[in-house]
Amino acid sequence: MTRADWILIVVTLALLPLLYATLWQRGGLGDQVEIWAAGQPTKILSLDQDRTVHVHGALGDSVIKIQHGKARFVSSPCSGKICIHSGWQSHSGELAACVPNRVSIEILGGKRKYDSINF
Amino acid sequence: MKTLIATREDYLIAWLAALAVTIHIAESALPTPLPGVKPGLANVVTIAVLMRFGWRTAVWVGLLRVLAGSLLLGTFLSPTFVLSASGAVASLAVLGLAIHLPGRGFGPLGYSLLAAMSHMAAQFGAAYALFIPHPALLHLLPVLMTAAVLFGIVNGIIVRSLLKHLPQGH
Amino acid sequence: MRSARVVFQRGLAFVLAAALLSACSHPDPVQERKFLAMGTLVEITLYGVDPSRAKTLMDNVEGQFHYMEDTWQPWQPSALARVNSLLGTTDWFSIAPSVRPLIVRSQVLSKESDNLFDPAIGKLIKLWGFDQEPRAPGPPPDAKQIAKLVADNPRMSDIHLDGIRARSDNPATVLDFGAFAKGYGIDQTIDYLKREGVHNAIINAGGDLRAIGRHGDRPWRIGIRNPRGEGVIAWVDVEGDQSVFTSGDYERFFIYKGTRYHHIMDPRTGYPARGTTSVTVIHNVAADADAAATALFVAGPKDWYRIAKAMGIHYVMLVDSSGTVHMNPAMAKRIHFEGGKTPKIELSPPL
Repeated sequence: MTRADWILIVVTLALLPLLYATLWQRGGLGDQVEIWAAGQPTKILSLDQDRTVHVHGALGDSVIKIQHGKARFVSSPCSGKICIHSGWQSHSGELAACVPNRVSIEILGGKRKYDSINF
Repeated sequence: MKTLIATREDYLIAWLAALAVTIHIAESALPTPLPGVKPGLANVVTIAVLMRFGWRTAVWVGLLRVLAGSLLLGTFLSPTFVLSASGAVASLAVLGLAIHLPGRGFGPLGYSLLAAMSHMAAQFGAAYALFIPHPALLHLLPVLMTAAVLFGIVNGIIVRSLLKHLPQGH
Repeated sequence: MRSARVVFQRGLAFVLAAALLSACSHPDPVQERKFLAMGTLVEITLYGVDPSRAKTLMDNVEGQFHYMEDTWQPWQPSALARVNSLLGTTDWFSIAPSVRPLIVRSQVLSKESDNLFDPAIGKLIKLWGFDQEPRAPGPPPDAKQIAKLVADNPRMSDIHLDGIRARSDNPATVLDFGAFAKGYGIDQTIDYLKREGVHNAIINAGGDLRAIGRHGDRPWRIGIRNPRGEGVIAWVDVEGDQSVFTSGDYERFFIYKGTRYHHIMDPRTGYPARGTTSVTVIHNVAADADAAATALFVAGPKDWYRIAKAMGIHYVMLVDSSGTVHMNPAMAKRIHFEGGKTPKIELSPPL
């Protein structure tokens, strides 16, 4: 065993826990968004791909934006705009819904931080 | 017209590659606890060759093993081949850099560990980029790297004892 | 050997994905279902129930919600709509058995809340247009019309029950159980799950929920949404059998000429209650929690303590329009603010 071997082994063994720490402690952050329309799950999209999706609902099109691991309603043909007010959703289990238009989004994946959300 | 004459080195490479391929195929029949986790015993040959016959020979043996192995197993150009090839190329590249380390440099353990880790990292990167770009896949990486480190060290020990029993090359 | 190898390669991507899925979910004892009912998103969470049994139970809960939605919705032909039309006659009539228990319970709650919870103001809700979803765009109603409905002063105590017969003293009585039916429905379905031997479950209807049992070795963790802004403002752990209800001015509202008009009416003024942004109540029975959240919202930062005491509510958090959080000490012990961002808190005497 050379000195370089020893250094390499020590450094590697020291970095491994760090790898666990960074990749396993995404606690609560989801990685996908499930879009529901007309009471049915219609599609699941990855949160790491930025895009804007138009979802056809009972009243018209709801527009959902996915950006930087988060998703939100940006427009919806409802009066309350609760869905838009709900803002960005990024934690697993979080959801935003446009009830009049029967469109909702829910964050999936990751470790859920809350069993249910009160709002 | 120039005739193609197999040199002594060609035979050597062919024999070593054949050995690596045999190990590679035998290992592929082993059950794996987790996809992507393999002892990588074929790397033992690559490291031994690197230390006895130099990096160029190791590159030949390493690449031939992947190519011939995939042809024999019928996986040529399949996803498995791509993963395997990316791992082999990355580990050979890293080894190519590692041999330039000044001083006494690395021993078999160091080379084996570097090769195992770079093999796994590249294979994982390729799997992630080409096949399943699912962020949750990243949760697997620490486990895979742990396996790579363990097997890298074990293989390094095997290489070390192997070299003790092998006559000097060149 | 070749075939084993082929299976391995062909399935590599698949197997990786499968390993991933199983790594994430294999010991997952949680069964969930979501559906739309009663004008909101209903979410059932069951813990430790066999999947096929869970499916049957959730089918039944879903069915019950759809039934309740049809029965208790005041603005289209329904059992409740019929009751409403007959209440207007001020004569005795026989009441639908599905509606009677709601009236009985809400009369008690209405009285305890000093009439701040008042499901008899259906006409006011309709005048403001909150009977429609979405509300038809337009200005708030005429002040004179509002004043007239307030002067009519319909109250739950105007309704008299005699066995299966009922009548109202006040022709202006129109029942809208918006702030009560959800809670009552949650209680009905939780009772059903309990009868079926389920020990650990949550039923969440539009953000209001009742949780029984726990999530395996830990209590259920409930996130409370930030009334202004996004995400979760705080969380509470709930176990045993408790309901967490929040009434907020952000749930349904419209903005006209820069002023915000929300759906929680103050029966004393006929206008949306002022001064409160949201009220969160933890209580055992969901129907009572529902009524209390509404009543305390209307009571506002000055008067909530008195009403909570009268209604027998032990955990209250009220966020006023300046963002100050009013809580009783027991609630303050249970609420954990997210990200260490503690807002300005005013503690009340113990409830």
